[in-house]
Amino acid sequence: MTPAHLTAATGMNPLQTGMQLVSAVIGPDLRGGNADAPPHQANPGWIAVLCLTVGTALLLVVAGNGAGRRGDAVALLLFWSGVVLMVVPTSLRIAWPLVARGERLFLLFLLAEALFYFKVVYSPTNFINYDEFLHWVEADDLLTARRLFLSSPLLPVGRTYPALEILTTAIVDLTGLSLFAAGTVLLAVLKGTFVGALFLFYERIAGSPRMSAIACLVYMGCSTFALFESMFSYESLGVVLCVLTFAVEAASKDLRGRPRLKALGLIALLLASLAVTHHLSAAFAAIYLGALAVFETLRRQGPPRINARIAVGLTAILAVALPLLWMQARGSSLPSYLGPVIEAGFKTLLAKIMGTLPPTSAESIGAPSVPFGMRLTTLLGILLLSLGLATGFFRSLAMTAPSSARAGWRPIQDILKRRWRDSRIVLLTLLAFGFPVSVAFRLTIVGWEIGNRMGTFVFFAVGLVVAVSIVHFWQGDAPRGWRRIAPAVALAVIVLGGVTSSSLAPMRGPYRVAADQQSVERMGIETALWTKAWLGAGNRFTADRGNRMLLAGYGRQDIRVNIIEGVEAARVFKAEKLGPAEYYPLVRSDVDFLLVDLRLSTAPPVLGFYFDPWEPQKGRRLSADALLKFNDIDGITRIYDNGWIIIYDVRGLHGRS
Amino acid sequence: MGVPSNRDLLAACQWAGATVAVVALSDDLLLRTILGAPMVFLVSGHAVLRAIGVRTIYLSEHLAYAVGASLAAGIAGGFALNAAGVLTPLGWAVWFFAVTVGATLVAAARRDAADLPAWPGPVRVSLWQGAALALAVLVATGAYALAVREEATDRQFKYTELWMLPPASGDPSRLTVGVRSGEAQTQRFDLEITLDGRPFAVFRSLTIAPGGSWVREIPVPVMPTRQKAEARLYRPEDNLLYRSVSTLVPHI
Repeated sequence: MTPAHLTAATGMNPLQTGMQLVSAVIGPDLRGGNADAPPHQANPGWIAVLCLTVGTALLLVVAGNGAGRRGDAVALLLFWSGVVLMVVPTSLRIAWPLVARGERLFLLFLLAEALFYFKVVYSPTNFINYDEFLHWVEADDLLTARRLFLSSPLLPVGRTYPALEILTTAIVDLTGLSLFAAGTVLLAVLKGTFVGALFLFYERIAGSPRMSAIACLVYMGCSTFALFESMFSYESLGVVLCVLTFAVEAASKDLRGRPRLKALGLIALLLASLAVTHHLSAAFAAIYLGALAVFETLRRQGPPRINARIAVGLTAILAVALPLLWMQARGSSLPSYLGPVIEAGFKTLLAKIMGTLPPTSAESIGAPSVPFGMRLTTLLGILLLSLGLATGFFRSLAMTAPSSARAGWRPIQDILKRRWRDSRIVLLTLLAFGFPVSVAFRLTIVGWEIGNRMGTFVFFAVGLVVAVSIVHFWQGDAPRGWRRIAPAVALAVIVLGGVTSSSLAPMRGPYRVAADQQSVERMGIETALWTKAWLGAGNRFTADRGNRMLLAGYGRQDIRVNIIEGVEAARVFKAEKLGPAEYYPLVRSDVDFLLVDLRLSTAPPVLGFYFDPWEPQKGRRLSADALLKFNDIDGITRIYDNGWIIIYDVRGLHGRS
Repeated sequence: MGVPSNRDLLAACQWAGATVAVVALSDDLLLRTILGAPMVFLVSGHAVLRAIGVRTIYLSEHLAYAVGASLAAGIAGGFALNAAGVLTPLGWAVWFFAVTVGATLVAAARRDAADLPAWPGPVRVSLWQGAALALAVLVATGAYALAVREEATDRQFKYTELWMLPPASGDPSRLTVGVRSGEAQTQRFDLEITLDGRPFAVFRSLTIAPGGSWVREIPVPVMPTRQKAEARLYRPEDNLLYRSVSTLVPHI
């Protein structure tokens, strides 16, 4: 940086000084990167202390969840002090200079598994998230029917991607564990594998265990890391296969001949598995590896290596062709599944930017409320990431410029002339532009889903760029004093930001209306279990979103989202009276039972909807009269009542009773 | 590049064979978990890695790739067993055995097999460090047990369930009526049953403890026309209608 007093002494005008200052901050100057410890110096003392600290932190998290269930005032203090104790000391040690590679890797495992534990103890005996219920039902169906590709009314696209269910049921069959236990063991292994593979990937392209560990920490600041990628859902497996593929590909970059072919064999195996596991992860792998092949073709640096280019090209062809072939073979409904979400998200974001959002749009309902402290931490995390990206962007590019050109802006000129040593670094650096886009999507309600999913993949790039910024700018040559502490603290805040942005309410609390996992409690579960015990499994049921999940998961009922084609259940439940537009579809349908939860009438929906995100009159509070309108309809009987939840038998409408 | 020993592959085959035997002969959860889980996560993938001949530098790298290859083997197994119609416990055990043995044979036949990465050197752990690690595991395990207990005892809503089910198709003259308590204290109820609005049966002072239930099958006359049966649950202390349910009695 240029000290201010030099301005007068050198006679530079303020504009030049400003330019020099900006150039010094965001420019491509590389310094530092020499603070990697020699191998075999792991400090077991630090490891032991941090394990004990994390163990204590997890106890505090559990105590906080317990207090939250009871509504105790101390819950927040217990829970968040546990989270801080879990994240901060471990992050500080991981980011510290001169720590052994093995120690960094162990502590990354410790932190990742602690964050997984943090997710599991929210509901320690059963799956609880919406997506988890969908996959739980599919896995249970697979265990029951002992065959794949069964119909899946709640997640039609899920039948095309059964890999998670295959692996979980394999564990159940081989071990005798319950589905929940088998799924949890699988997810724990996936979490550890993800962090290990991510570390190896960064290490191979950045050439530094320290930078790799810091990049992994930054990745943990992604809003999907703590919860979304730990759910019993196909993306949790997909993202692991994705990063493993990248790690193997990066490790093989300097291989030639048969060793490269062998690596390609493993990559093909992983890509084939990815193609049948998760659509978005497979799509991202195709984009990354396809773009990598293009960048390799464009690259001018060094002697042309035809074999390497062929290997990268073959990898890209496999990454693109295998998912397409699988979709073609299975007749996937992916475009109809993802298309409307992406289209609505883009339209909403554009309308928001242009200020042309209609007042009746979903955005007018407003986002669900989040406690101030959580919002502040998330915002601080985003600001720090933005700062890291701004100061790391050109430095990341400079890192891969020809070694002879490391002064001033020459490295960037070389990159513009297509001279770079590693296309992966260039590609990832450019992909980091996805971060502001994903944040922009997250600011809309309709596009939130897109922004959230984008984050999972964009953070591969964000991790690298921010790590370069920390190592080559913020810590620099001699990380002492504030240069040693401040970046490490910033990384801890970034990880905390990932936790606070992972969910509306990471801590367990009392029942809330239409709030997915916050709506799951004992009475709803008991009612679903009652249906299985007294009505048997497989009855055609419909209900609100939360109870649909309980009925499908615990009750093993056949859930209908639509009463008949084109008539959503929401219309029947939300109408004040059962008019012809609701009655006749109900008569024509094959639905056996309706489940009505009167708690829905006690508050507006937390997520903005009771039934589905696309339901009419979103956000409007339901009335008890509307829910109880089935009481006096001839042919409908009220077979179950617990004071809050009522089950109506509508088989009398179809002449079946 | 030296020729690596094949002892690891032999051990993998023995592990896979033991898994087949245990899955076929034993229901012991612990034994099956100890043998079965590593088959899905590591053993088969290690053999596949050796068969492909991928060279790894670090143990962590080999483990990560082995997990990935195992997952791939498991996913492929799902499709293969589905096609063969044997998605069963024994089918899975045989699949992983076949993959492991097949990969071992390929690896053993290779002339250009890659060296296995070296194990990291032993880390000296002092007594207090070992004690701290053990304590950390204990605290985390205890905390999980506490979380399970918290969930088991968590009952935000206190409620009583009343239900009335139509006659089963086999016996059209019997209704099922049930009451189950999810209240905090023992409760007393009166239950009245009507048929098409006419009093049919009354049960006085049903005393139900928390978690307890009362279920009866009630014979009803089957008529030429469909009847509506209703059950009403009252609390005697305030004579308040507490719950009401209904069902249809089919005609002859």
